[in-house]
Amino acid sequence: MTQGMHLTPIGDGNVLLEPGAGLDPGDPAAYLIPVLEVLQTNAACRLLYDLKNVPLLDKVYYEWLAALHTACRISGIELVTVNMQPEAAFALSHLLSGPPPFQCARDVDQVRRRVRAAKKTDGSGAG
Amino acid sequence: MARKEPAAAKATSQVLIEQLMVNVGKISEVIEKEGQSIFGHANILSDEEINDYSLEFLELFVMVLHTGGKIDRRGAEFKALKEFFTNLSHQIQLRGGDMDEFVRYIQFLERVFLDNLQEDSDADFSSSRQILLLLASLFNDIVLDVFHAYLEEKERTIEAQQEELRQTSTPITEIWDGVLTLPIIGTLDSQRTMMVMEKLLSRIEQDRASVVVIDVTGVIAIDSQVSHHLIQMIRAVELMGASAVITGIRPEIARALTSLNIDLGGVTTRLTLSEGLKEAFRRMDVHVSHAGQATQ
Repeated sequence: MTQGMHLTPIGDGNVLLEPGAGLDPGDPAAYLIPVLEVLQTNAACRLLYDLKNVPLLDKVYYEWLAALHTACRISGIELVTVNMQPEAAFALSHLLSGPPPFQCARDVDQVRRRVRAAKKTDGSGAG
Repeated sequence: MARKEPAAAKATSQVLIEQLMVNVGKISEVIEKEGQSIFGHANILSDEEINDYSLEFLELFVMVLHTGGKIDRRGAEFKALKEFFTNLSHQIQLRGGDMDEFVRYIQFLERVFLDNLQEDSDADFSSSRQILLLLASLFNDIVLDVFHAYLEEKERTIEAQQEELRQTSTPITEIWDGVLTLPIIGTLDSQRTMMVMEKLLSRIEQDRASVVVIDVTGVIAIDSQVSHHLIQMIRAVELMGASAVITGIRPEIARALTSLNIDLGGVTTRLTLSEGLKEAFRRMDVHVSHAGQATQ
């Protein structure tokens, strides 16, 4: 277990990250290597960052997410945030001047549906 | 320690009370008659209510006079009298009465006492002058208080109407499972955009919505700040994992956005609400067709 968060493989190459109260978004360097190690050990292709218990996204938290996205992208892993709360979305939309670099989904099920739809499209395209 | 009152001042209220006691029947009758002619004809107050109010007013007025020649504005008696008029004014307003007439009625009450004073031949000049000043000061205070209560009530009504208008002018409807529509009508200002945004984001979470169709057919004007807020709204929708489609951008709005250099490049737009719904269905992999076509 990585300190300040729970990382759970949930199948189909997805790993769910649930941040805990002990997470310090102001210190991304402390988390990036342990997180990437877990992702690579589990042969993950997607990291689902659960924001259900994150009531507010400020600049520091956004920079942590952006740093995590960059590290994941280098490792060939996609970062998708899920369950962003209305208040957090409201606050973050005021911070951003463009779309965020990472993907956003309503919940884990939506990510799975998107992946299935993308596979279907790729399959029909190849056929 | 009780404050000693000047003899002349004490005499003023005493004279008034005595006059009132002697002519209470006549005064009461005149007040009721005038009340009925003002409030009775439009059914604003019933005869019974007018009689009750007239008696209550006289009782409260005498209580105020009993406190001494110099009216204590902070005293319970004077507060009770002011509250009586404030409540009456509120009731008259609620029943659609005219405030001008109510103020004229208060002035009439003052005049009744002055007329009564005129008929009293025993009152000397100095005493009459004191009574005149006392009545003028007392009734002026009442009129001012009624005026303030009227303004406060008006402000409350305007605020309530504005809130109602805000609520009804942005109806968010779940038109299909996971599809929300938001028709925006009228002028979008920053405050309204913020309010709409808050409501919309809460509804996305509540209804687990995937697509939001924002119809701006009814928007007549847009400026750079508002278009910025609109883009922020779409971004917030996308951050929550839903997608947004804007429909019904009128030519004037499109021209304004172009001249403001607002880039809607990343935003899906459709000409009409119906086209927007088709786009929402397409994104959700929902196929809608005529019954005849489906069976073919």
